[in-house]
Amino acid sequence: MTARIHPLLGAFAILVFLFLLAPLVIIVGASLSDTTYLTFPPQGLTLRWFANIFEISAFRNTAITSFQVAILGTGLSLLIGIPAAYALNRYRVGLPKWLGTLFILPILVPEIVFGFSLLKTITIGLGLPVYPSLIIGHALLVLPYSVRVVGASLASFDFSVEEAAISLGCPPLKTFFTVVLPNIRAGVIAAFILAFITSINDVSISVFLTGPGISTLPIQILAHMEQFFDPTIASVSVLLMLVTVGVMAIVEMTLGLTFLTK
Amino acid sequence: MNKFAKWGLTLPATIAVTLLLVVPVLITIATTFGEPKGVFSTYTAFFNSGFRTNILYRTLRIALITTAISLVIGFLTAYVIAQMPGRLKSIAIIAAVFPLLTGVVVRSFAWLIILGKNGILNSSLLSLGIISEPLSMLYTEGSVIVAMVYLFVPLMILTLTGVLEGIPRDVVEASASLGARPIATFFQVILPLAVPGLIVGAVLVFTGSFTSYATPQLLGGEQMMMMGTLLYQRAMVTFDWVGASTIAAIMVVITIAVVSIMSRIARRLNPMAV
Amino acid sequence: MTVSLTIENLSAHYGQTQVLKDLSISVAAGELVSLLGSSGCGKTTTLRIVAGFLAPTSGHVKLGDRDLTTLPAHARDIGLVFQNYALFPHLTVMENVAFGLKQRGISSSDRAKRATAMLERVGLAPLADRLPAALSGGQKQRVALARALVIEPPLLMFDEPLSNLDAKLRVDMRVEIRQLQKANGTTSLYVTHDQEEAFSISDRVAIMNAGRIMQLDTPEVLYQKPANAFVARFVGFENLIPMKTVARDGVIVTAEAAGGARLHLSQDAFGPIKDDFVLATRPDGLVTRGTGEGIPATLGTRTYLGRAYQYKCETAAGEITANGALSEMFEPGATAVLVPLPEQCCILDPEN
Ligand SMILES: Nc1ncnc2c1ncn2[C@@H]1O[C@H](COP(=O)(O)OP(=O)(O)O)[C@@H](O)[C@H]1O
Ligand SMILES: [Mg+2]
Repeated sequence: MTARIHPLLGAFAILVFLFLLAPLVIIVGASLSDTTYLTFPPQGLTLRWFANIFEISAFRNTAITSFQVAILGTGLSLLIGIPAAYALNRYRVGLPKWLGTLFILPILVPEIVFGFSLLKTITIGLGLPVYPSLIIGHALLVLPYSVRVVGASLASFDFSVEEAAISLGCPPLKTFFTVVLPNIRAGVIAAFILAFITSINDVSISVFLTGPGISTLPIQILAHMEQFFDPTIASVSVLLMLVTVGVMAIVEMTLGLTFLTK
Repeated sequence: MNKFAKWGLTLPATIAVTLLLVVPVLITIATTFGEPKGVFSTYTAFFNSGFRTNILYRTLRIALITTAISLVIGFLTAYVIAQMPGRLKSIAIIAAVFPLLTGVVVRSFAWLIILGKNGILNSSLLSLGIISEPLSMLYTEGSVIVAMVYLFVPLMILTLTGVLEGIPRDVVEASASLGARPIATFFQVILPLAVPGLIVGAVLVFTGSFTSYATPQLLGGEQMMMMGTLLYQRAMVTFDWVGASTIAAIMVVITIAVVSIMSRIARRLNPMAV
Repeated sequence: MTVSLTIENLSAHYGQTQVLKDLSISVAAGELVSLLGSSGCGKTTTLRIVAGFLAPTSGHVKLGDRDLTTLPAHARDIGLVFQNYALFPHLTVMENVAFGLKQRGISSSDRAKRATAMLERVGLAPLADRLPAALSGGQKQRVALARALVIEPPLLMFDEPLSNLDAKLRVDMRVEIRQLQKANGTTSLYVTHDQEEAFSISDRVAIMNAGRIMQLDTPEVLYQKPANAFVARFVGFENLIPMKTVARDGVIVTAEAAGGARLHLSQDAFGPIKDDFVLATRPDGLVTRGTGEGIPATLGTRTYLGRAYQYKCETAAGEITANGALSEMFEPGATAVLVPLPEQCCILDPEN
C-alpha cells in the first residue's frame, strides 16, 4: 500500500492523535495541581499527591496484590498455554478443531460473566479462598494470549529442526528447551507482556473476586474515586502510565514496537 | 508416543478452561431455568421490565454507535498511518499503543476530569462565554460513548493498520497502472480488501463495549446503567443472583451470536480464501 | 498508434544509495526490448520509474513525444504485468480484466464485450466468473496479461512475469506473450533475469549491471560479439585471457599470453585486433590436445558433460576451463595444450 495522502485526511489524523493523547496529558497536569480538587491546567505545582499515595496503605497493598496476581496468573497461563500451543501446531492434523476455539473462550465469554460465574460456583460454591480464585480468574483470562501469541510463533517454526535435533540424539524434552523454546522466544515474551498488562488492568473479573483485605489496584482506584475526588487518583494514574512506559520500553528493546501491529 | 504427547500437552489447558470457565458459566446459565415459576420465568420477567429492557437496548445502542464511530475514525487514521514513511509510522504506532496499554480505569477517569461539572470542557466553554451555566455532560449516553470511543479507537487503529499493510503494494499499483485515480483505487480496491479486517475490528469493539463494566460505572453511573453495571448491581448490591445470572445468559448469547455470525460473514467476504 | 519509448539519463536513489546510474534506453515503436540482469541490478526500479510509482533523481521518460516524467501513474496509460500477477483478489477474472476499461468510463456492455473478447484470446473465457484464488499460476498470469492488454496501451511492461511458473509453462507462456505482443505491435519493455527467456522473446536485449546498461543489442550480437568483459562472462565466455600483440603479418596477428604462449589470430575472423586485447572463450571454444600450438596447461578436475569432458586447467595465464574430446581422456595432472577455435572466441578491448 502506498498512495498520496490528502491534506484534509492528514489533518484529521493529527486531530485523532490529539484526541488520543490529550486526556493522558490532562491526567498528568491534574496530578501536579496544588488544589484539593481535580483541575486542569494545574494551579500551582506540587508533588504532594504522589506523596499522599504512599500514605494510603490501601494503594500500597493493592498494588502489591495486583503485581503478584499478574505475575502468578500470567505464569500459570504460560505453563499450561505453551504446551497446548505446541501441541496444536505440532500435531495440527488429528487434534479436533474445537480445541483451538476452547482456548480462546476466555476472550469470547464476556469477562464480567466469567467473573460472576467464577465467584458463584468456585469461590462461594466450592469455598475456594478469594486470593487463589483471583489468580485462577486472571490465569484463565490471559490464557488466550499464551496460546495464540505463542502459537503464532510456533506456526512459523520449522519443526524439522526439532526432528534434526532428536535424530542427533537430543532427548525430546531437552530438545524443546534447547531448540524450540529459543526460537519462539519473541512469542513467549510478547504473550507475557500482553497477558501481564491485561491482568494488571483488569476490572471486570477482579471486581467480583475481592474480599476483606484483598483487592487489586484498579478496584481500589474505583473505590477511592467514589469517596474522594482529589488529585491522588490522578497521581496513581500517572504512576500506572509510567508502568506502561516501562512495558513499552521492554517491548521496544526485545521485540520492536512495530511488532504490535501484527 | 505422539498420541500421548498430542493429547497430554493440551490436557491441562483443556481441563482448566472446561472446569473453571465452561462449567461455571453453564451452571450460571442453567440456574436461570430452575425457577419454580417456570423454566423461562426469569426471562419473561426481564423482558417485561421496562427498566431492564431499556438497559439492554441502551447497551446495544451505545455499543453500535461506539463501533460505528470507532470504525470510521480507526479506518481513516490507519489509512494515513499505512502511508507514512518508516520513522513517522513508528511514532504514530507508539502514540496509538500507549493509550491501549494504559488501563481502562485510568482512561475512563480522564474523561471524568474533562466532562465533569467543574471539568475542563465546562470551564473552557464558560470562560469563552459560549455557555453561561456549566453543562451536565457526565452520566449521559454521550459521555459513555465518548469514553468508549476513546477506549477502542487505538485497538481499531492497530488492527486496521495491520490489515492495510497486508494489502500488497503491487495490487494498489496495478490499479493505478490501469488508470484508476487515487479515490477510485481507495473505493474499488483498498476498501473492499479491508472489509474482512473491518468486520474483525467491529466485532472486537462491539463485544468490548457491549460487555464493558468500568466505563459505564464511572461515566454512566446509576442513571445510565449498561448490562455490565446492571449485572454487577444485581449480583453484588441487591444479591439477586438469579436476576444477575439471567443478565449473564443474555450477554453470553448476544456476544457469541454476534461473534459467530460476523466471523462467518468475514470469512465469506475474504477473497483470499475460496 | 505505436510509439517509441525513450528513457534518458535516468538516475535513482533509495535514500543515499544510488541504484540507477545515468541509464538510457530507447525502444522503437513495436519493438520488444528486455532488461536482463541479476537480481538487485535495478530492473524493477527502472520499470517502476517508467510506470510512475517512483520519481527518478534525474532523467526523463518519454513515450513518443510525450514527456511522462512528472505525470501521475494513473494518467500514464501503460499496461503493466507484475511478477506476482497483482490480480485484484476480490474481483472475478472478468472484473479484473474489465477494471481498466471501467476507469476509462467505458459503458458496462462495451466493457463486457471487450473483456470477453480478450479472455477468449488468452483462452480463459470459461473461467470468467472465478476469483483469482481459484486459478493456477499459469491462469493467473494469463489474466494479468489480458488485464494489461485490454486497455490497448501504447506501452506494455513486464516484470519477470514468468518467474513463478514451472519450466514447461514458462516456455509456452513466453511464446504466447511474444505472439500477442507482435500481433498488436505494442512497444514493450520486458524484465527478466533468465538469459534464455530474454534472448528468445526479444528484438533487443539490454544487459544491466549495478544500475547501468552494459550493452543493448540484438541477441545474436550479444551472444557472439559482447562489447565488454561483463557481457562476455554473462553470455558464457568463461575464460578471459589477456594477450599482447607481438607481431603482425597481413591479417595474421601473433599474440602472446602471460607465460609466453603464442597464438596466431586472423583479423578476418576477429576484426581489427589492437596491441593489447583480451581473448574471451567459452569452454567449448578451447579444445584440449596433447600437442600442437596453444596454451600449455596442467589439467585438473575432470567433469563428464555427455558430449565432451570438461577440465579445470592451470596455465601461466591463470585458471582456464576447457573441453576435450571424449575420444581422448586426460587424467588429472596430465599436461596438454589448449587450442582456441576462432568461431567460439571473441576479442575484447580491455578499455571497455
Ligand atoms: N524500497 C527500497 N528501499 C531501499 N532499497 C531498495 C528498495 N527497493 C529496491 N532497493 C534496492 O535497489 C536495488 C535495485 O532493486 P531492484 O530494482 O528491485 O532490482 P531487480 O528488480 O533488478 O532485482 C537493490 O539493491 C535493492 O536492494
Ligand atoms: Mg525485480
